[in-house]
Amino acid sequence: MSTEAEEGGTVGGIDISDSVLIAGNAVALFLLPWVLIDVFGMVGEVIDIAVGGYSGLPSLIIIYGIVVIGYNLLLGYTGMLSFGHAAFFGTGAYVAGVVSGTTGSPLVMILAGTVVATLIAWPIGWISIRRTGVYFAVITLTFGQMLYFWALGPGAWLTNGDDGFSSVQTGQLLGTFELGAPVVGGIEFLSVYTWEYLMIATLAIVALWTANRILNSPYGLIFEALGQNQQRVSFVGLDVSRYKLMAFIISAVFAGAGGALFIIHESYIHPNTAYYWIQSGDFVIMTVLGGAGSLVGPVFGAFIFEYVANVISGVSLPVIGSIGSLWRIVLGGVFVVIIWAFPKGIYPGMRDAVIWIVDRVRNRGGEQG
Amino acid sequence: MSLLQTTDLVKQFGGLTAVDGVSLSIERGTVQAIIGPNGAGKTTFINCVSGLLDPTSGSVQFNGDDITGQDPHEIVQQGISKSFQTASIFPRMSVAENVQIAAFGAEHGSFRFNFLKRRESYDAVQETTERMLRSVDLWDDRNIQAQNLPYGDKRRLEIAIALASEPELLFMDEPTAGMSPEETRQTVDLIENLQEELGLTIVLVEHDMEVIFRVSDKIAVLHRGSIIANAAPEEIRGDEQVQEAYLGGAEI
Repeated sequence: MSTEAEEGGTVGGIDISDSVLIAGNAVALFLLPWVLIDVFGMVGEVIDIAVGGYSGLPSLIIIYGIVVIGYNLLLGYTGMLSFGHAAFFGTGAYVAGVVSGTTGSPLVMILAGTVVATLIAWPIGWISIRRTGVYFAVITLTFGQMLYFWALGPGAWLTNGDDGFSSVQTGQLLGTFELGAPVVGGIEFLSVYTWEYLMIATLAIVALWTANRILNSPYGLIFEALGQNQQRVSFVGLDVSRYKLMAFIISAVFAGAGGALFIIHESYIHPNTAYYWIQSGDFVIMTVLGGAGSLVGPVFGAFIFEYVANVISGVSLPVIGSIGSLWRIVLGGVFVVIIWAFPKGIYPGMRDAVIWIVDRVRNRGGEQG
Repeated sequence: MSLLQTTDLVKQFGGLTAVDGVSLSIERGTVQAIIGPNGAGKTTFINCVSGLLDPTSGSVQFNGDDITGQDPHEIVQQGISKSFQTASIFPRMSVAENVQIAAFGAEHGSFRFNFLKRRESYDAVQETTERMLRSVDLWDDRNIQAQNLPYGDKRRLEIAIALASEPELLFMDEPTAGMSPEETRQTVDLIENLQEELGLTIVLVEHDMEVIFRVSDKIAVLHRGSIIANAAPEEIRGDEQVQEAYLGGAEI
């Protein structure tokens, strides 16, 4: 929801060529575990506070990253605030988990989870988009909560209810590669680069590439237009409901894939992480924090969110003691500071700052010369 | 056969009858003006035809097809486009993108979009966009964010959006409202050019009598939801009933 008036030279429809986008993100995804675990770990040793990441964290960040890349297509462009995307995340996870009992192929699990999540997004979207603004938000919230209570009660035969679903039997990738094993064995430094990480990172690149192409297709233009002047969209001959539904379903595809990856990664899911409204809210926070309306911004949001949730929560400070479950207070503080400093989110904020600095340096150079 | 034909069109809001049995037929290639005092039902009439409101009773025929009660996007696809009273644009998109959307809308019926195909590669859309922006003199401003245009340019961008839908009939709701005399003159020239070059049928709602009498082929006078006269400009000027109801000698 970057409703700021002025934008710098690079406006919403970022034009990055595919190969640059893919190469840049591949490098970023390769560096992520190293920075998070080794660099932060070293910092932690110096300041004597455990701020380093652990080996599963990069995967978790990217999984949520995939979800919010899709969610951002809805919130950041069409401006529709869904408070029920846990419905698709959770469905992707449960379906992948249930399917693993029959075939453990990770790719089949992901495909099944994504397909079913997409299928339920159709009717939920069809009903929800009939209303706008806060009514839309509440309707989506209601659908999410319906699934939550279904998973706890009547659906317990499938979801194992409040005990959580733990009978996940993920097999080998393509029947050959053990997900937990490093891609290159025997080298300590590369031990965090497991087949699982490779698979998730590859899907993240596919997700980014797809989102970028959608944004640069006619749909991207129409989604953005829907966020700015819906009446005008219908008065140029475009069926508003159809495109809103499409944006909703596309975002659910990403959420479903993310849910399936989540259960592969965690081997466990509970209705609270799958369907509860707080999960839906977390997607909103990640997206806004990172920068709604920018392609990669929300991934930064996922990074900060998961870092605070998983690392800062484990930090023990001299006077305060262990942060533990108070991590949401810390997150709230981080959120306020970031949104105060960068109203458009951290990524667009940093981008504008870099542009500003570069301009200053150039102008200064020009004056001297 | 006339291009647009309304028959006994009625629109009621609760107890208020805003449009009261309007039967109007508009010939292809003409400029039809609709005038009347504030609250006469001009905008309501347009909204009933363009699909924003559903008429209470009566029918609207376009090109011989009944389009009564269709959704706005369906009516636009049939060939009726509208420029709004307030510049209805996409403020945070570039001028070119504003027009592109309408051009995509016009193509909507002929093919399905590909999710992964870059919009730069739709040649017909790019071509339409350029032609429309040139016709309203905004081509040089195509990369400016629409909200940063001066008011008169926003209105012309609005007209370009309406034209990019490739309409046969164009509704213009007070196209010169709030414009400077210079901008008004440019807009009138534009309307005349459009009609000559594109053979467009235009329905114009306007308060500026100078504009009306200059461009219209026919003027319909709406008073309390009914048409009290519909004739060539010189006849309207002499019509006593019209003088009484609306002109009152003051505005001419």
